[in-house]
Amino acid sequence: MALPVMYNYRHLLAHKTTSILTMLVIAAVVGLSCWLLSFSNALESSLAVAADETKILVLKQGATSESNSSITIEDFHRLDQLTGVARDPDTGQALISPEMMVQVFLPRVRDGGKTNSNVAVRGVTEVAFDVHTNVRVVEGRRFSVASPEVIVGVQASKQFAGLMIGDTVALGSGNDRAFTVVGHFSADSGPMESEIWGYLPALMNASTRESYSSAYVRVKEGVDPAEAIERITGPSIELKAETEADYWRFQSLGIRGYLFVASLLAAVMGLAAVLSIANTMYATVAGRTQEVAMLRTIGYPRRAILASFLVESAILSLAGGLLGCIGCILWLATVGNTKDMFGFFTFTTLAFEISLTPKAAAIALVSVTLVGMGGSLFPAWRAARTPVVSALREP
Amino acid sequence: MDLRITYLYRNLSRNPMRTALTSAAIALPIVIYVLSFSVIQGFDDFLDRAAKQLRLCVTQKTSIVNPLPTGHRRKIEFLDESKTRILSVCGLRWVGGKVGDKPQLLSTMAADPDTFLGTFSDYKLSESERANWFRERRAIVVGSGTANQFGWKVGDRVSIKPSLPPYKEMDFIVVAVGSSENDPVTNFFRADYYEDVMKEIGGPTDKVSFFFVKCATKEDLTHFTAEIDELFARTPDETKTQDEKTFMNSFITQQFNLPRNLTILAFTTIFVAVMAAANTMSMNIRDRMGEIATLRSLGFGRLGLFALVQTESLLLCVGGGVIGAAIPYIAFNFTPLGRMNVPLIQTLIVEGSMCAQALLIAAGVAIFAAMVPAISAARTPLVTALRNME
Repeated sequence: MALPVMYNYRHLLAHKTTSILTMLVIAAVVGLSCWLLSFSNALESSLAVAADETKILVLKQGATSESNSSITIEDFHRLDQLTGVARDPDTGQALISPEMMVQVFLPRVRDGGKTNSNVAVRGVTEVAFDVHTNVRVVEGRRFSVASPEVIVGVQASKQFAGLMIGDTVALGSGNDRAFTVVGHFSADSGPMESEIWGYLPALMNASTRESYSSAYVRVKEGVDPAEAIERITGPSIELKAETEADYWRFQSLGIRGYLFVASLLAAVMGLAAVLSIANTMYATVAGRTQEVAMLRTIGYPRRAILASFLVESAILSLAGGLLGCIGCILWLATVGNTKDMFGFFTFTTLAFEISLTPKAAAIALVSVTLVGMGGSLFPAWRAARTPVVSALREP
Repeated sequence: MDLRITYLYRNLSRNPMRTALTSAAIALPIVIYVLSFSVIQGFDDFLDRAAKQLRLCVTQKTSIVNPLPTGHRRKIEFLDESKTRILSVCGLRWVGGKVGDKPQLLSTMAADPDTFLGTFSDYKLSESERANWFRERRAIVVGSGTANQFGWKVGDRVSIKPSLPPYKEMDFIVVAVGSSENDPVTNFFRADYYEDVMKEIGGPTDKVSFFFVKCATKEDLTHFTAEIDELFARTPDETKTQDEKTFMNSFITQQFNLPRNLTILAFTTIFVAVMAAANTMSMNIRDRMGEIATLRSLGFGRLGLFALVQTESLLLCVGGGVIGAAIPYIAFNFTPLGRMNVPLIQTLIVEGSMCAQALLIAAGVAIFAAMVPAISAARTPLVTALRNME
C-alpha cells in the first residue's frame, strides 16, 4: 500500500516559501549544468566529425598547427613516394591535397561587430573535395579557379559579418584583394565549417606566400593509417603526420581544461543544492512527526513512508530541474547560442552553436531527481523509523 | 543583553543539523566565489601591469600571424626624431617553441637585441645581466613561470625547438629570469641569432611578428596609436596599432572569455547561497512564531525582533562564509596547490583581501536572505500569534 502522490503535492503547496526557495536553488544548479553540458556537447560533436581516421594531416616537423606550419613545394612532392594513398576512381589522381592556411580578422555578428575574431582562410585545389569528403556546398556553388571567389562554411557565415553569398570579402596580406562569396558549405558540423575556402594559387598569390601550410592525405581503405604516418615521419619524407582526430584533440586541450574546471565548480554547486534539499526535507520530516505516526497507526508500512518522502523530494527536484532547463533555453535564446573558441595553437577561431538537446535535458533532469532523492534519503529514513506511540503522545 | 546572546546561541544550536547544512550550503558557493574572483583578479593584474608599461603593439592589419617587414622600425622611429616621445621600438618574432617532448607550447620571441632592454624596461635586469645580454649572442631572458617549470637558472644552457622555421632545436644561455611582475610565460632571445640560423637554412628573414613601441606618456600612447597606422595606410604592409592592454585583452577574451564566464558562474552560486539561507531562516521563523509572539508580549520592540532575526542569519552565513573563504585561502597559500600552473596568470593567488570581500558577500547574503523572515517576525500580530500556539 503506497501513499498517493497527491498527499506530497498538497504538502509542497502548503509550505510554498520553502518549496519555492528549494526549487530555485535546484533550478540555478540545473540551469548552469545544462549550459555546460550543451557547450561540451557542441564542442564534442564538432570535434568528433573531424575524427576521420583515414585522413592524415601532414605538417612541417616541429610545427604545432596548420597556422605555423610551412611546407615547401619540394617538401610536398616528397609525399609522391607514399604508398597506400587512395586514388580518384576516374582520373587515378592520388588523394593528397596541398593546402594553405591564412587568417582574416572579421567582426562577430553576435555583438554587432564590436569585437573581431581570427577566421581561418584555407586555400585548396579541387582534390580537396575528394579528400575532405564531408565538405558539401549547400547553397550557391563552388568557387571557380579563374576568378577571385571563395566559399564559406555555414558556421562562419552565421557568426561573422559580411560572408553572405554575393558579399565581397577583402583577403590577402594587404587585405586588399576582393573575393566574392559564391557559396556556403557544410562539413557535418565539423571544425571546417568555421573556415573560408578559396582556390589555392589565387590565395597564395594574394598572401604573397610561396609555400603550402599543410597537406591532407586520404589513405586507401584497408590501409592502416599508422603505417602511412610512420612513412611520412620517416627519413625519406621527414614531415610531421597525425590523424585529423589526434590533431584536433591536441588543439582543443585548452578549452577542455576550462570545461573540466567549470564542471568541477558546477559539481561543488550541485553539492550545495543537495545540502539544501536535505535541509528542507529534514524540516519537512520534523514538522510531520505526528502525521507520520498517525499514518503508521492506520496501517501504512515503513517503506511506504520512506517512499513517500523520496517521491516528495523527487517532485521538488524535478520541478526545480524543469525550471532550470527553461531558464537555460531562455538564456540561449536571448543572450545568444553562438560561441567561438580561439585556438591558442591554431590562432584561428572555431565557431559553433549551442543548443540544449532533449538528451542533455533528460540527463540533467534524471540526475537532479536522483541527487534530490539522495539528499532526502536520511530524513526519509528518519521519518520511516518514527516511533509510533511516543510520537502520538507528544503535544 | 546577555539573555539575547544566549537566545541567539540556543537558536542556532537547537537544530544542529539545519545549522550545519545551511552553513555548508553557504560555504560552498563562497569557495566558488573566492576561486572565480581570484582568477579574474589574476587577469586584471596581468592587464594592469601591461597598461602601466605605456607600450603600443603594432601588428599587421589583417591578422596577427602575418609578418611585417623589419624596415617598419626605422619608419616608426622617424615619427619622433627627438626620441623624447617614442623612447624605444623593438621588433619581436614569435617562434612559439617546445622543450623536449613536453606538449606545452611556449611563448618565445626573437627580439631586436639593441632595443629590447629599453622597450621592456620592466624586466629589471642587473648590470651584469644586461652586459651578458649584449655580449652573449645566444642569450635568452626567460619568464619566471617557464623557469620554474623546467628548473632553469641563470647561466644554464637550454634548448628550445621553435614551432616555426627552422623547426629544430636552438641552444640558448639563460642570462636572466623575469620577476613575478613580468609576463611569466614569455621568453626573449636575440633576433640576430635567429636571423643567422634562418640564413643558414635559407628561410625567410627580415620579417617580424609585431613591434612593441615604448612611449613616454599616456598622451603619446594615444597620439601614436593613430599616427603609426596612418603612416602605413595604403602601403602593402598596413598596420594595426593597439596599446598593450587592449592587445593582451583581445587574447584573453577570444579564448572562451573566461573572466565573463567566471563572473556569471560566481553570481549564480551566490544566488544559490541566498536561496539556501532564505529557506533556512524562513523555516526557523515559522517554527518559532510562538516564541516570537511571547517575546513581543514581554515587551521586545519590533526593531529588536528584526535585529534578532538578522543577527541570527548573519551568524549563520558569516560562519559558513568563514569556512568557505578559509578553504581556498589555506589550499592556495599553504599547500602545494598554490604552485599549480594556471595558463596566463601562472599561479592562482588567493589574497586575504579577496577572502575578506567574500565575507562581506556572505554578510550581504545573510541580510538579504533574512529580510522577509525578519520583517514578518517584527510584524507578528501579538494576539493571533499567541492564539496560534495552541
